[in-house]
Amino acid sequence: MADEAGPTDPTEPTSVAAPAVRRGRRPSPRIAQMKRTWYFLRRNTLAMIGLAVLVIIALVAVYASTTPISWVQMPFYCSANYGPDQTSSGWYNSTTGTNGPFNVSGDAGCDYICTYELTPPPNAAHFCNGLWYKIPFVVTKDCIQPSFASCPSYPATIPPTVNLHSGSTGPMPLGSLATSIDSTSAFFNLYNGMLRGSDWSLIISVAVVGVGAALGLLVGATAGFLGGAVDDALMRLVDIFLSIPVLLFVIVLISVITTTIHSVGLPGFSLLGHHFKPYVLINSTWTPLFTLIIGFAAVWWPFYARLIRGQVLVVREQKYIEAARANGAGKGRILLRHIIPNSVYPMFIQFSLDVGTIPLLIGGLVFLGFTNLFPSPYFPEWGAISAWSVFDIRSMLDSCALQCVIPWWQLFFPGLALFMYAVSVNLLSDGLRDALDPRLRR
Amino acid sequence: MKLVTYVVRRIALFVPTIVGVMTITFVLLAALPIQYQLIEHYGDPPRQDPCGYEPQCACASLHHDKETGNCNNPLYTRLVDRLHLNRPEVVQWGYYMYNSFTFNWGTVANNSQVASTYAFARGEPVAKFMGQMMPYTLELTVLSLLIILLIAIPLGNLSAVNRNRPIDQASRVVSFSGFAIPPFLLGSLVVFGVFYLLLPHTGYSVGTPWCPSHETLQYEIWGSWPQAGCYKGAVALSSNCPTWLTGCYLSHPTGFPTIDAAAHGLWWVSLDTLLRMILPALVIAYGSIAGLLRFVRNSMLEVMNLDYIRTARAKGVPERDVVNRHAGRNSLNVTVTVLGLTFAFFLGGFPVIEEVFRLEGIGRALALAVIPGSFDFGVIFGSTILFTYLVVTANIIVDVLYAYLDPRVRLG
Repeated sequence: MADEAGPTDPTEPTSVAAPAVRRGRRPSPRIAQMKRTWYFLRRNTLAMIGLAVLVIIALVAVYASTTPISWVQMPFYCSANYGPDQTSSGWYNSTTGTNGPFNVSGDAGCDYICTYELTPPPNAAHFCNGLWYKIPFVVTKDCIQPSFASCPSYPATIPPTVNLHSGSTGPMPLGSLATSIDSTSAFFNLYNGMLRGSDWSLIISVAVVGVGAALGLLVGATAGFLGGAVDDALMRLVDIFLSIPVLLFVIVLISVITTTIHSVGLPGFSLLGHHFKPYVLINSTWTPLFTLIIGFAAVWWPFYARLIRGQVLVVREQKYIEAARANGAGKGRILLRHIIPNSVYPMFIQFSLDVGTIPLLIGGLVFLGFTNLFPSPYFPEWGAISAWSVFDIRSMLDSCALQCVIPWWQLFFPGLALFMYAVSVNLLSDGLRDALDPRLRR
Repeated sequence: MKLVTYVVRRIALFVPTIVGVMTITFVLLAALPIQYQLIEHYGDPPRQDPCGYEPQCACASLHHDKETGNCNNPLYTRLVDRLHLNRPEVVQWGYYMYNSFTFNWGTVANNSQVASTYAFARGEPVAKFMGQMMPYTLELTVLSLLIILLIAIPLGNLSAVNRNRPIDQASRVVSFSGFAIPPFLLGSLVVFGVFYLLLPHTGYSVGTPWCPSHETLQYEIWGSWPQAGCYKGAVALSSNCPTWLTGCYLSHPTGFPTIDAAAHGLWWVSLDTLLRMILPALVIAYGSIAGLLRFVRNSMLEVMNLDYIRTARAKGVPERDVVNRHAGRNSLNVTVTVLGLTFAFFLGGFPVIEEVFRLEGIGRALALAVIPGSFDFGVIFGSTILFTYLVVTANIIVDVLYAYLDPRVRLG
């Protein structure tokens, strides 16, 4: 154990050998290395702080994803109306019975909120005219509707002040941090949005970097292991992908996929005279998210391919690979059991580094106006929330800087969350690199 | 391998890389239905055409011959013919490659976001438009790189020498924080703070001292460029030109606002232009310092562990000389590489920063061009080609420089 080893370096043979003798069984070298890494990581204060913050964020995300919060509390599309023409259709006004844009000022009637889940969460709330109501929901074929027709209306003129109101759903220690009623994102509850955003930000960033890293691992390991013409060809492909502007590639790819899906649809198939088209996939909440993840991963993999290839080139010349070959191991076994496990460490570091930047990038895209990245224009994701808040504050500063209370908390809390997330990920990965690289330990 | 052979080999890879990038862009955009490719002439098809997204609707339903399935709209057929959209994809690709290498990048669409934002560019050749947007981005790039260099190299050396001491920790945390704040957030905070909170209380108005005609201070006005009245005695040469260039009112020999104004003796306009770029450059630099700092610190750490440093110390060379002369100079290899690539990436524009500070650079044009539903194909293609040229060229220069600095690279 590292504790027993005390201040001495556990990599030294004496400190590793001593517990091994006592237990009678030597731990596998990989486990031993993990222990060593953990030992050095633990001594790095900044990395430990980063790890603690990440654990807290992960706990919040687990809490958010397991607690039945009405997780949108913002308008959504009924699946029947879901389409690319998002601003003019897709809303449903329950009073007039027509499709139309969501009415923020609330004088024409009450717009209802649906959730993405097909069964409403037990404590789901209804947003109407800037306030939240706890109301029963009626589940119809396509969406969830509130069971009453109208809600109390506002005075005709809304004073240009911020209405601080507590969200009435779920356990809400920060419930008063709701958004202003006359801002563009009026129907967004900051606390719930951030809570929901914690798991979405984590899921999206890990999924993007994970898919990218897996693809990069595949390509890079193949190129490095096989060498020769395969290596040349694959690395040229990597060069090509690295030369495409990132922003352009992501946006164009996502736009093209979205447009293509909505205009020509996904490829259908015929069976027994019936023609099937996967409409479910088109109208699913997950489609834009998958598109987003695929779009980002397509940009991400070349970095990993290059990284892994360099590492594989070093590892494949090691003596233990030669030994495995001498023992009669096949190519596949050598690659999967010996080369890849020994060359993924730098990938982990890069992985943890990149995970922190994804929400920032998404926020940037939303800021530039690419809201169709998400299933709903008010999708709870930290980067997106802070981008809307910037819009809100900017418009309020332009229109009523002296009369309005500037809702700084709208920007501060999501921004702080993003910042903490990215900084802690960076600190942890930096510490990890120091712990994994023997030259940097001392 | 000789250096010359190495250089020739690297340059030989230039063409296939560009062809590859262009092919990927082509495949992506050719996958779109035909009406999206004709968008500049038809407007937004789904809203105009009741038959919606079906491919044959590109031909406006009025002209659609239901029996033959042909399109009888002469405008449509002429367009399709001119753009070679009725030829096989391979032939289209051939035309596309030929035109991209001959700088014939098409024209800015008539009804895209780009055209409505930059009226002067409507229907103009994309290459010309890119040329008009480039100087701004270039000035911003140079300014922010200067700031990065001036901070990152000394700080990196300092934190490598004082490894794991408070100064190292502090510099790392500060540079990480730059990495961790989204640029749009930091930029907006700066804009809010400076243009809404700070400047109004100083009595400074946007016009003064350059041009006392504006009395209100507003973000919008700050973002726009001095109008005709600000250039005393100047008359607009043409109404169809980028408003931010002094060239609207004066001749513009280089296209760079700062240099042009200085060439006309308008030093205050020159200074004004520079001032408008300092804040965005600082924001960019703060966000990018972490990357370079990390490389400088790590390569410095590696060099400091080498034997010749120990030898130098043993010989009694003063510590300052050891750090600055022996180690510092030899750790610059990596820095050069990173800087070259950063330069190329910066030249691709800063869409977010340019949007925040209302600057007119290439990144903003690109962000406008890819707004879904109003793609501007010419600008997308043009900026992709431009960016690819820049990155590939920078890659080659960096590789050659690296091979020159470190002969071991050539052997590999």
